[in-house]
Amino acid sequence: MPSARFFMLERPAQDTRSDASEAPRPVAFRGEGFTPRAGRHSGWIALAAVIALWQLADSAGWINPLFLPPPSAIAMAMWKLATSGALWQHVYWSVMRIGSGWIIGTIAGIIVGFAIGLSTLARSVGITFISALFPIPKIALLPLLILWLGIGEEPKIATIALGVFFSTAISVYSGVDAVPRNLIRMAQSFNVPFHAIVRRVIWPGALPSILAGFRITASVALLLVVSAEMIGAQWGIGAFVLQAGNLMQTDQLLAGVVILSLFGLAVGKLINMLEARLLHWR
Amino acid sequence: MKGMLRLALAGLLALAAGGTTQANDALKAKIGVLRLSSSAPVFIAQDKGYFKEAGLDIELKFFDAAQPIAVAVTSGDVDFGITAFTAGLYNLAGKGTLKVIGGMSREKAGYPLIGYFASNNAYASGLKTPKDLAGKRVAVTQVGSSFHYSLGLLADKYKFKLADVKVLPLQSLSNAAAALKGETVDAALLPVSTARPLMETGGAKFLGWVGDETPWQLGAVFASPKTLTNAPLVTKLLAALVRADREYHDVILASVKDGKAEINDRTKPLLEIIAKYTNLPVEQVVGNCAYIDPDGKLDVKNVGNQIEWLQEQGFVDKGFSVDAILAKEYVKAD
Repeated sequence: MPSARFFMLERPAQDTRSDASEAPRPVAFRGEGFTPRAGRHSGWIALAAVIALWQLADSAGWINPLFLPPPSAIAMAMWKLATSGALWQHVYWSVMRIGSGWIIGTIAGIIVGFAIGLSTLARSVGITFISALFPIPKIALLPLLILWLGIGEEPKIATIALGVFFSTAISVYSGVDAVPRNLIRMAQSFNVPFHAIVRRVIWPGALPSILAGFRITASVALLLVVSAEMIGAQWGIGAFVLQAGNLMQTDQLLAGVVILSLFGLAVGKLINMLEARLLHWR
Repeated sequence: MKGMLRLALAGLLALAAGGTTQANDALKAKIGVLRLSSSAPVFIAQDKGYFKEAGLDIELKFFDAAQPIAVAVTSGDVDFGITAFTAGLYNLAGKGTLKVIGGMSREKAGYPLIGYFASNNAYASGLKTPKDLAGKRVAVTQVGSSFHYSLGLLADKYKFKLADVKVLPLQSLSNAAAALKGETVDAALLPVSTARPLMETGGAKFLGWVGDETPWQLGAVFASPKTLTNAPLVTKLLAALVRADREYHDVILASVKDGKAEINDRTKPLLEIIAKYTNLPVEQVVGNCAYIDPDGKLDVKNVGNQIEWLQEQGFVDKGFSVDAILAKEYVKAD
């Protein structure tokens, strides 16, 4: 590889020399590459190929179905869950918890993130607290959360909101920091009031990074729903996954996991749409 | 003189043991256990060298929950498992990946193990006996666990519907204890070791012991089908375990009064062994002695009942009965 790189580096020098002596010769367009685009079908084809191989490995008896149930068994478990009506209960409760936890965490995170990005006092205090509290594993706090908030919906939503809050706050204040200062200075020199600068300059400037943060926090919320539903939940995809794990029903366990990844795909699409709407000026 | 004779005998025995291990190329095996006194005979057999005398080289692997032991037996990480029955264990056994070969701890009247505990508020408003649990919010660790099944047995005994009880799986004992102390549940089923500090600090009220209400077969010895093909290994292991079962029963269990074992010259050495393996002071071990059958018998009828109950609840896959999960040639039925 290094030799190839040297070759490329030396190439222009050679070219200039040859330019001097010979007539110009056509050169292939070199400005290609470095622009990866997601293909429309290749992702699905790869996924289908992996699933087909998995099914084949199980039906051929290469894998013990207890250790890795075949896709057909997982589909069967999902079908049973859907026809019994339990699936909708699980999905309803999980969506409710993820949704409210995510919204609370995001609103708090945006407020705190903007405060840190705009005020000296909030910055010096806030960053210290975020650095100190962010790495605490929320699962370790479960017994305390139960003591403080009981075992109703509050601790479950709080677990998700806490996880979402810190990531949002960090992505918001880094987004605010990344807004080009000359734009702010220019607005200031036109004597634009503070609130208008925040609304018209900083908010749109920070939005791409805030939306990128949403992508992460949406996944964090999905991850945390399993821990949140450790707290005495009877319904919920997380509770279902935990129960299947406890009972060693590996096909149902994976069915729950598949439902969680479908959630993840749906949320990803949703954020794509949001980006297309809010960032159309880019 | 007697001491000398004993020493010589021990030496001879050791020599004989050495001889046999050489001949058999030392039967090595790993046992997965929990650091709980319900596995006391295993600790006694290991510490007093009963396994070694039987020509076995046993390594104990310690786990912190019952379920992973069953999984480890299935995956071949340990050869034998000794722990409580769980729905997960039955699901694995139903697929033929492990078989029960002997009995271990039991819930039995007079030997406290799992208890029903009420929160202070619930107690004050009339939850005084296990019978009153109907219609209450009760914390357990996991669905299909020993605690859940104990509650099901109680419902059968007092003719109330388990569906009327709001069972709340909190995933760990510390979560269940926190919920009870924080008054967010009316009651919880907890092992005596978790409940004692709670009661001493006034965080919960005692309602009764499962063993007094509904005795049942809590734990067992099990092995994978691959291990079972090695008949000499299984036979020797079970014989050494029964020897320890007998000693534990005759020395410690015989001295239990009011749920506590006596500390005297006979019991002390054994209690100290249990204390060493469970990392508990002897004073706590005495109040925590699970009943174990002196002959290592298994209450097969109750195990069948457990499977049926769990299948009815949908926690265990249907389509197999107790006969399918026993290694008949080894199990001594009650």
